[in-house]
Amino acid sequence: MAAAPEPGEPEERKASCTSLHLSYWKSLKLLGFLDVENTPCARHSILYGSLGSVVAGFGHFLFTSRIRRSCDVGVGGFILVTLGCWFHCRYNYAKQRIQERIAREEIKKKILYEGTHLDPERKHNGSSSN
Amino acid sequence: MAHAAQVGLQDATSPIMEELIIFHDHALMIIFLICFLVLYALFLTLTTKLTNTSISDAQEMETVWTILPAIILVLIALPSLRILYMTDEVNDPSFTIKSIGHQWYWTYEYTDYGGLIFNSYMLPPLFLEPGDLRLLDVDNRVVLPVEAPVRMMITSQDVLHSWAIPTLGLKTDAIPGRLNQTTFTATRPGVYYGQCSEICGANHSFMPIVLELIPLKIFEMGPVFTL
Repeated sequence: MAAAPEPGEPEERKASCTSLHLSYWKSLKLLGFLDVENTPCARHSILYGSLGSVVAGFGHFLFTSRIRRSCDVGVGGFILVTLGCWFHCRYNYAKQRIQERIAREEIKKKILYEGTHLDPERKHNGSSSN
Repeated sequence: MAHAAQVGLQDATSPIMEELIIFHDHALMIIFLICFLVLYALFLTLTTKLTNTSISDAQEMETVWTILPAIILVLIALPSLRILYMTDEVNDPSFTIKSIGHQWYWTYEYTDYGGLIFNSYMLPPLFLEPGDLRLLDVDNRVVLPVEAPVRMMITSQDVLHSWAIPTLGLKTDAIPGRLNQTTFTATRPGVYYGQCSEICGANHSFMPIVLELIPLKIFEMGPVFTL
């Protein structure tokens, strides 16, 4: 990972190592372990959960004027909204990954078989013209 | 490899590891929410002025805190079992390598296309070149092709060892008298490090594993093969 610095470029390597460490220490971890920045969908879910918590808690307080119960509703709202957004986002993320994988495989096949009898486009055009 | 003070998982180099990272994120989010709820309950307990000495039962609450954890466990178990069965799939490997653990080095055997057997010792600090990694680099790396399914047969010649590469999501025990099998398909070239993961004596921490993954074309024409 850290190769010996060449005579012409010691600053670049130092800067890249420093920036690597800085970027690691800059990542926000909720409760010390949930890396919100680098986990897909986490930031989105936590933000919507916080919004849901404020809306639910404040709304309940406006209707009932009960502070303690409103806090409980707020916490419950946070958990439910976060979970709901999380599963919804992860489901879409999983679908997107599958589509990316299919596209990647098809691109590879096209590059490999272009011009040959196994070319998927030739098969498709042949079947449509028939 | 891991960088200094790294706590999280390394970037994935195989599809199984990608799935493991996704599952890890899923479980961590559930853990976070449970911890949040528990911290809130603790806060309420510490700040309440209510004292009730005549509680006899709380059937509804007990029902909720029995059923809810069961549902949470099912939500965690289903993806976990999916990945477990995925790791057991053997998808027609194109290459088989044997890895034999010794005290305190690894022996690798490429016997598919000829006989190549070599030992892999950790480079002692005195023999390190500038840029080499202390306690991680070895004299002979395991060279393998990228995007080709590889089967590793792992065993030991003396005591228990464990052949582990975190970035590939691999950890398989090397047990004397037993042959364990693991398969993997690497998705990107590079040099990947692992360390023995089963206590095996004084130099247990000093028998690393280094995998060098190269494109298949270069692998086929390289000096790894002896025909």
